[in-house]
Amino acid sequence: MRSRSQPWLLALFALLTVAPLAAGILYALAYSLGLTGLLNTGFTLAHWQAVLGAGVFWQALWFSAAQAVGAISLALALALVVVLWRPGAFQTGLLSFAIYLPLTLPAIVVAFLAFQGLSKSGLLSRIAYALGFIGGLEQFPDLVNDPAGIGILLAHAGMATPFFILLLTQLYEQERVAAYADLAATLGATRRQRILKVQTPLLLRRAFPTVVLYALFVMSAYEIPLLLGSQSRPMVTVLAVEKLQRYNLADIPQAYTISVLYSVVVIGATLWLLGRQKTQ
Amino acid sequence: MIILRSMPALVAAALLWLAGCAPPSAEKPGKAADELLAMPWDSLEHSARNATLTLMMWQGDPLINAYMNDYVAPQLKQRYGITLNIVSGQGAQVVQILMGELQTGKEASAIDLMWINGETFFQLRQIEALWGPWTDKLPHAQYINFENPFIGIDFQQPVAGYECPWGNVQMAIIYDSLKTPRPPADRAELAAFVKANPGRFTIDNQFTGLTFLKALLIDIAGGGQALSGPFNEAKYKQYSAELWAYWRSLQPYLWKQGRTYPEGVAPMHQLFANGELWFTMSNNDCEVDNKVMQGVFGPTARAYVWESGTIQNAHYLGIPRLSANKAAAMVAANFMISPEAQLRKMDPAVWGDGTVLDLNRLPPEWQERFRNLPNRRHAPPREAIQANALMELAPEYMIRLAEDFRREIIQQ
Amino acid sequence: MMKTIPEHVRNSWRRRLLAGLLASPLLWLALLSAGRQWPYPALLPLEWTPEHWSRLLTGRSDLAFSLFFSLGLSGGVAVLITALSFGVSRAVAYHRRRRYWLLAAYLPYVFSPVILAACLQYFFLRANLAGAVAGVFVAQVLITMPYGVIFFTNFWNGHIRSLEQLAYTLGSSRWQATLYVLWPAARGTLLTGFFQIFLISWFEYGLTQLIGLGKAPTLTIKVFQYVQEANLFYAALAGTLLALPPVVLLWINKRFVFSRML
Repeated sequence: MRSRSQPWLLALFALLTVAPLAAGILYALAYSLGLTGLLNTGFTLAHWQAVLGAGVFWQALWFSAAQAVGAISLALALALVVVLWRPGAFQTGLLSFAIYLPLTLPAIVVAFLAFQGLSKSGLLSRIAYALGFIGGLEQFPDLVNDPAGIGILLAHAGMATPFFILLLTQLYEQERVAAYADLAATLGATRRQRILKVQTPLLLRRAFPTVVLYALFVMSAYEIPLLLGSQSRPMVTVLAVEKLQRYNLADIPQAYTISVLYSVVVIGATLWLLGRQKTQ
Repeated sequence: MIILRSMPALVAAALLWLAGCAPPSAEKPGKAADELLAMPWDSLEHSARNATLTLMMWQGDPLINAYMNDYVAPQLKQRYGITLNIVSGQGAQVVQILMGELQTGKEASAIDLMWINGETFFQLRQIEALWGPWTDKLPHAQYINFENPFIGIDFQQPVAGYECPWGNVQMAIIYDSLKTPRPPADRAELAAFVKANPGRFTIDNQFTGLTFLKALLIDIAGGGQALSGPFNEAKYKQYSAELWAYWRSLQPYLWKQGRTYPEGVAPMHQLFANGELWFTMSNNDCEVDNKVMQGVFGPTARAYVWESGTIQNAHYLGIPRLSANKAAAMVAANFMISPEAQLRKMDPAVWGDGTVLDLNRLPPEWQERFRNLPNRRHAPPREAIQANALMELAPEYMIRLAEDFRREIIQQ
Repeated sequence: MMKTIPEHVRNSWRRRLLAGLLASPLLWLALLSAGRQWPYPALLPLEWTPEHWSRLLTGRSDLAFSLFFSLGLSGGVAVLITALSFGVSRAVAYHRRRRYWLLAAYLPYVFSPVILAACLQYFFLRANLAGAVAGVFVAQVLITMPYGVIFFTNFWNGHIRSLEQLAYTLGSSRWQATLYVLWPAARGTLLTGFFQIFLISWFEYGLTQLIGLGKAPTLTIKVFQYVQEANLFYAALAGTLLALPPVVLLWINKRFVFSRML
């Protein structure tokens, strides 16, 4: 059923979604090749060589990917354990309300709280001191602004776990996982087999697209690594913005180069994910 | 469907158009600006009434913010009818914004007045983003002695009327006299100290930390005037290599093993107040007094300066060439260098920022009031450390140090 | 088949404990917002003061302005985008090449807002939108529109289509179909979508910072400013204010806060 307004609506849609993205990436590409920009002098591959040749960018990309995988795995594992232990726990009652509470905090507030909780003079350290585990704050391990990014990982995992619990709870009901588990039980499966061979695969398969999307979001995160990251291991978005605004003016084309590379990775991953869905 | 098919062509066309557009020359502001300078001051003040002035400054210190928000802004509104709007930004951020505006041929800048310093001044002049000369026009400028090298010269460049001095400070290191009764007084003592007390010392990753590194560089080069004058690549290469070698020897004993550094002085002050760090630093020698008065630091905090010297410099106010509110900017700058505003700013309970006014040029009653400001109790008196004041180096030193610090130290 | 949970188990102490754990970050945030000094190794702030909140409520602090500014900005974005994306989603959902249009919506949705802002800064400057509230508004429109389309496309399923067809077959005009058939069916979805779009705008920081240049003082900008100043009590206050609308929405209807699409 086509209406007369359909082409206009679609044009508006393209104007507000695809066009800006394409324009932005093309501009970044032009800037990175030296074709535009106040201090640029003409076509050059120097910026691309500088970014691809320097270790920093690859390190940042690897670190962002590792953070995404790590945080998501941790959160997913936790959520699976919780949901499979008591599948109905978050469906009704007090918990069905409480599980939403962590979702009311934006990334920047989560980063702030994580810092106040995990830093050497943070809440965890004070509790450890009060309980006698450490003799002074210098004995508390480095959990924030550390090269391993533990604070970032925990913050992201903390944000993701309630979300995954909700997702899996919904899917559990929707996909009637309990029914399949019961079926398997009547066919002689043990509890362990039911969990590993029936419930988990069912849930994960349906949750896969959302999980991958969330992983891409973690990779693109800005506020949490901004506050909790270490300068020696920046994440891709933080690196790009810093090169744009903080450093030497000559680094600005590199910021755009990184933006283009980031776009390739993220768009490629999204296309792969959605293309995959088509075959299902 | 048609839209989808033609999308690539549309986007390409749009970009070609954009690439082909040259930014229109910013002639209009220029003409009007000349007229401004020719106006008598009273008419200029009058023309600035009801203007909204956007000031971009570093907002990392609550006391400075309070001084601006609770004193300067209301006074500007009351006296001159100017609404002050403060936005956060410093250093390369400012330059990048103005660069973008020049590139796109914007008619009126988003910023009207900015708090800037040496290397930003240098970069802004490079891209011709600053308006000037304008400081001679200000009535209160008569009280400033531009011949004073610490005021009239910014990072080895004469200000030449393109920026107005606002405050004058000398870098000092803050320590707790109870925990460290004898703080290290030179490089060798610092190295010994950090080895004996690991994890207690660090620098910040911004302006103040770089200023400390500059002082170390001068010390390595032989002290005093060793690196004054224009940037010298050979000298820089030679002495910075030694500097990094020295810093690497310190690194394992620094806070977080020198792998990461606090972003700015405010987090560093908090770490010092918490007891995690035993030292913090400030570009403002009077900072320790105002922080003790605020209850942020304990009463045993003190400040000191190394014998080899620390950098004294002035900080300034600049006006972008594309600003549409130059009259209001000048009126505001004039107020900010007035004796009342400078006196209040110098009070350790408010900010403790040194004045740029030459006391000898002030009327006698003002001289009295400046001399009778409450004494510093935790920071050394300015006269005592003036002898250890080093002049700022050429801006390229700062830019290179920042880059190399990142490359040599952080990314290793 | 979901087993019904017996009453005595439903509110057991274990559940209460877990619920408390889940609420603890919010509670701690609110606690810090009324504190004064927190030196090591005290577990709680040494002093409590209503001063921060009273300054806010009597309008003496610029946080009050930020609160209303953020409410206005995000509210405006949500109203516009809910209306626009609802209409657009219908066009997308009924299109032959629905898949490709949805794909087009996913790309800017997944893309990092702050990097998008960095790439588009030039265009915003050119259009005189940089460093202006209007610019931040437009930028937020750009990042919420994709989500709106993705969210509302799910509404136009076979059932709604049949309803519409039926209405037309029975002789109703477009206007009647919209008002009497579509609107009642869509009300719940529209409201949910509105609040979720509101929250995306409400929580945004990086893009607002880059495009607004500090002239759009949203609450998220304030949180970051106070964190930079190492003023943790004010940062906690700003954070509590940020969390308030979502908590209120949660109280009204949980679905407003949770999105399966994130």
